Amino acid sequence: MKTYYEEIHIITEQETEIINISNTVHSKVKDSGIKDGMVFILSKHTTSAITVNEGLPDIESDLKELIQRLVPDEYSYHHARYLHSDGQMAINAPCHLRSALLGFEVFFPLNDGKIITGGRQNIYFVELDGPQERTYCIKIMGNA
Amino acid sequence: MKIDFHTHPMMIREIQENDPALSDAIQNVFGLLFPAQPLRVFILEMDAAGIDQCVLLPIDCSSAFSCKIPSNEVVAQLVKKNKRFLGFASVDPNSKTACQDLEFAIKELGLKGLKLDPALQHFSLLDENKIDPIFQLCSSLKVPVLIHCGLSWAPHGLSKLAHPGDLEETIQKHPNTNIVIAHLGWPWVEEAIMLAIKYENVYLDTSVVYSGTPQECLQHVIGTTIGKNVFERNLIRKTIYGSNYPRQDMRRAVRGFNSLAFSQEFTDNAFLNTPLKLLTGD
Repeated sequence: MKTYYEEIHIITEQETEIINISNTVHSKVKDSGIKDGMVFILSKHTTSAITVNEGLPDIESDLKELIQRLVPDEYSYHHARYLHSDGQMAINAPCHLRSALLGFEVFFPLNDGKIITGGRQNIYFVELDGPQERTYCIKIMGNA
Repeated sequence: MKIDFHTHPMMIREIQENDPALSDAIQNVFGLLFPAQPLRVFILEMDAAGIDQCVLLPIDCSSAFSCKIPSNEVVAQLVKKNKRFLGFASVDPNSKTACQDLEFAIKELGLKGLKLDPALQHFSLLDENKIDPIFQLCSSLKVPVLIHCGLSWAPHGLSKLAHPGDLEETIQKHPNTNIVIAHLGWPWVEEAIMLAIKYENVYLDTSVVYSGTPQECLQHVIGTTIGKNVFERNLIRKTIYGSNYPRQDMRRAVRGFNSLAFSQEFTDNAFLNTPLKLLTGD
């Protein structure tokens, strides 16, 4: 079995931002030379997410608004205190909770060197506490 | 146009990556323990918060901890790189060269004010031999002094050295030196308010950080403990907006201030008119 691993660094520009990373993932699968197996895409953070949806701006806007409605900014969260392990105020509870709802990873099977997805499935990195430099990982495992 | 009068240029990768001593000081002296971000993120944070310019505040801890976090030269370089930064200097009041260092920083490096942190620099605000020459120089250079007052989150910071009330004699002796009491002096907010109400040359910045979101914090201190009308009536030209970034993020700090729903005049003064007045020495 062959494996491939890469960390992709991006700088997000908005507090909540939905970034389509499908082309990057497809390109890394091609570069890996792996034909049959699995590709895993994971965020390395607890205030961001990886998700899949249709690549339409209106769906992206609806998704942003949905997570803001489900987890409002103004609420008496427990996580609203000084965090000694960081040396800063931990006042981003909504971002953590939105991340928990969306999840931090997705995976797809590979067949004949291509990702098996539905025609409308796009892969997104979702920033929930930007702007920040962020990292997501791509792990590909299978046979060449 | 909005100015954030209280930010610390520390978690910037470009200034840390070739300076392990600075990284060490930021972690172990100032107590910031999360990863540094590219300089571009600082600017993007400003954009996301709707802040046009930031005052960058260094701290010279040469005698207390053998470090500068960061140096005046680093602040000057950041200001040179980006016009959205306004730089203050810091000098060590325990050093015999404090006045010379300040004069160099203002005249040669082009910095616009002085930051002092008695809690972290380990000097007494009551030590007139150290304080008076510096404040006299600030008056002749026409630059403001921003002083950390109240709770020090730095691991070895001594909050007891940062009582706003200890400034009163200095304020009286230097009526032409503009003094900004940072963090509203929390938990000694009433001392800070008293000084700002009484003395023409005393100002307050709003960068309170102790518990909860900035909105909760400011609502408690300004809305409940002191009363918003005290600020509107007495401190409409004496209150300056500050976030204390990166102890707390700029976006939520702005939202916290805006949640107080001050009058438009108060808000315009806090974000722009009063900071400009101090920065231009008018």
